[in-house]
Amino acid sequence: MSSATETSQNPAMADEGPITRFFRATEIDTRMLGMVAALLVIWAGFDIYSGMLRPNEGLFGGSFLTPRNLWTLTVQTSSIAIMSTGMVLLIVMRQLDLSVGSMLSTIAVATGVLQVFWLGPSLGVGNEWIWIIAVLFALVLGALIGAFNGFLTAYAGIPAFIVTLGGLIAYSGIAWALIRGETVAPMDKTFKLIGGNGPLASIGPFWSWMLAFAACALLVMGLINGRRQRQRVNFPQRPIWAETFLAACGGIAILGITAVVNSYPWPPKVIETYAKENGIVIPAGIEDRAGNAICMAGEAVVRCANGLVYYTGYAIPVLICLAVGFVMSFVASRTRFGRYVYAAGGNPEAAELSGINTRWLTMKVFMLMGVLVAISAIVTSARLDAATNSLGQFNELYVIAAVVIGGTALAGGVGTIYGAMLGALLMQSLQSGMTLLNFESAYKDMVVGAVLVTAVFVDQVYRRRVK
Amino acid sequence: MKKFATAILAGVAMSLSLANVAHAEGKTIAVSWKTFQEERWKTDEAAIKAVVEAAGDKYISTDAQGSAQKQAADIEGLIAQNVDVILVVAFDNNAILPSIQKINDAGLKAIAYDVQFEDPNALYITFDNVGVGRLMAKTMLEKGKTEGNFAFIKGDKGDPNATFLFNGIMEVLKENIDAGKIKNVCETFTDGWKPDAAQKNMEQCLTANNNDIDAVISENDGMAGGVVAALDAQGLAGSVPVTGQDGDKAALNRVALGTQLVSVWKDSRVLGKMAGEAAVALANGTAIDALPGVGKFSDGAKGVEMNAILIAPNPITKDNLNDVIDGGWISKAEACAGVAAGSVAACN
Repeated sequence: MSSATETSQNPAMADEGPITRFFRATEIDTRMLGMVAALLVIWAGFDIYSGMLRPNEGLFGGSFLTPRNLWTLTVQTSSIAIMSTGMVLLIVMRQLDLSVGSMLSTIAVATGVLQVFWLGPSLGVGNEWIWIIAVLFALVLGALIGAFNGFLTAYAGIPAFIVTLGGLIAYSGIAWALIRGETVAPMDKTFKLIGGNGPLASIGPFWSWMLAFAACALLVMGLINGRRQRQRVNFPQRPIWAETFLAACGGIAILGITAVVNSYPWPPKVIETYAKENGIVIPAGIEDRAGNAICMAGEAVVRCANGLVYYTGYAIPVLICLAVGFVMSFVASRTRFGRYVYAAGGNPEAAELSGINTRWLTMKVFMLMGVLVAISAIVTSARLDAATNSLGQFNELYVIAAVVIGGTALAGGVGTIYGAMLGALLMQSLQSGMTLLNFESAYKDMVVGAVLVTAVFVDQVYRRRVK
Repeated sequence: MKKFATAILAGVAMSLSLANVAHAEGKTIAVSWKTFQEERWKTDEAAIKAVVEAAGDKYISTDAQGSAQKQAADIEGLIAQNVDVILVVAFDNNAILPSIQKINDAGLKAIAYDVQFEDPNALYITFDNVGVGRLMAKTMLEKGKTEGNFAFIKGDKGDPNATFLFNGIMEVLKENIDAGKIKNVCETFTDGWKPDAAQKNMEQCLTANNNDIDAVISENDGMAGGVVAALDAQGLAGSVPVTGQDGDKAALNRVALGTQLVSVWKDSRVLGKMAGEAAVALANGTAIDALPGVGKFSDGAKGVEMNAILIAPNPITKDNLNDVIDGGWISKAEACAGVAAGSVAACN
């Protein structure tokens, strides 16, 4: 490795301030850093405020920055976050899908009907094939609806806005007609776990740590691999200290988040039921109302400091969401398909002229969107343990808002997957936090709307400055 | 064309004479429906028809197909046919008033069925909608909890019903709230009455209160589903009573399973039956204010005082689950899916 290729020693940059030099060397997306900072400020604000109303064990004495609330927050975010990853690619391609909410309800209801009215009676309730068939069915149905939207847009030449606006109305009709507005419940037992409703639908601390270590290893390998690649094509490299700094920050973030989700104890009632069902003996102990464990005080089951306790770890839908985010980021930045999407969004004519089959590409992106909606449909209906036609209503608005807050330009060509996912987390944080504080829902709507517009405004100012 | 018109006239004359024949045998009860496209009215019609025909009277009906003009013409036609009582499901409760005046002028009786129009001579028959909220709260106090931390999951903020329900609920709970027995720890509207939104709201409510929630008043069954899912995640489903309304099948199953306390049920067959009975009685000369269950009602937009029969909805709990099963609203298998043997009488 020759030190002449290291960016920090490039003489043209010698007169930069230390902060600019730092960001240039580490190649950190300052926009993303701004979003993370905003998120942390909002979180701290909610925690402090909720602590003033009712002291709790949060970081600043409230109930927002507790493992429990953060765990719930991640589960609540996952459905919108999953869909936002697909919407990024669509908007980058100068397309839009307004029908995701109605698609979600159609897929959820159809899958619910399949498992409750068809598979349940024919295979026997609780058969382990039910959830597999249901999931595959949902994914295929999602791909088909997406293909239909994509075909009308790409080959029939109808603007995506119109196609999916029609879909928004029509698919919600299908969802209603399928079951005439009734509720389909309950879902298959295994299928239900995908929703992450409750601690039993998570992987536990051991596997959470294993996954965290694997993610850290992956991060380091990625950095090393990236460095090798740059070396090979004689591209400027980050200085070693910057690489180390990135690895350390990433590692600390991964391990920190894992530590948080691993410190959310099962609710006492859930431990009690689990112990009874599995014949686990609850140890005797002294009552302590603030404790997380349970023990026997005479005949009664009470909370105590030392006793039987389990911790949750990552919830299954959160893992699905993270996996989707990882795969989609990879697809967007490392595959030919992804590069074509950005190329076609940046300049459709040039992309077309350079030999990219933009129609087929558009159709593929819509299909991908459909599959992602199907994943969200599975997660949402599994979490509610029921499917109704109102599921997914207004979701298109939240998904698009998340994408826009995440820095995707509606003009196309620009946008990141992780930005959209952070956008989804930010929106859900606002909503959950305000519900936690018992805000009136009219004010909640006002705040969320204002944040959306402010985020785009700040983004534009930022982009102008950078230029 | 002329022949055709004659044929029609002949037909009309014949049907009129037929109506007169029927009149000679018994009374004729007519219904002017606002639209027959909604499925529910068919249930109402079957119930009304059954009562009327059992009394030896004749049932006829017209369908206004969602048009105020057609409904006015329909009613004129019915008056011409010399019926005794006309039940009106008004499409437009103001535009209908001249037609009602015509009914009165002809010396016939008008009944406002389910939809109110404000005419002091008519009878108004409907479900006690404000009562649904009261009934939820009453059932909670009688069969659920009388004190502790209460959570209120309200419907969509744009829907006036969400607030009406809440007022009814608060009316009943007020005494215990003022006495400090009941504490309102969370109260939230739910976008579009959506179950998944209710689930999130309930999760936040549980987090804010460290699971210290004793009862949940949810304004309908769909949202109750979300609430129960949130409670289930904390191992609290079944130990925290939850209310609802609509008689949703999934909710009735939850009532049987014990995870939901009550689903307030508005059975349109009961409404139809009561209206049929009132119509038959009026046709036989009973005075309006002498009908069973009749009272004064003046909560309409113009405050006109009317005689009204307000039917109390049926709060379905574990104890009277039989009502929905025997009534054919839900099959026993659907209501009792997953219920442990011997835990609910209706499921044995």
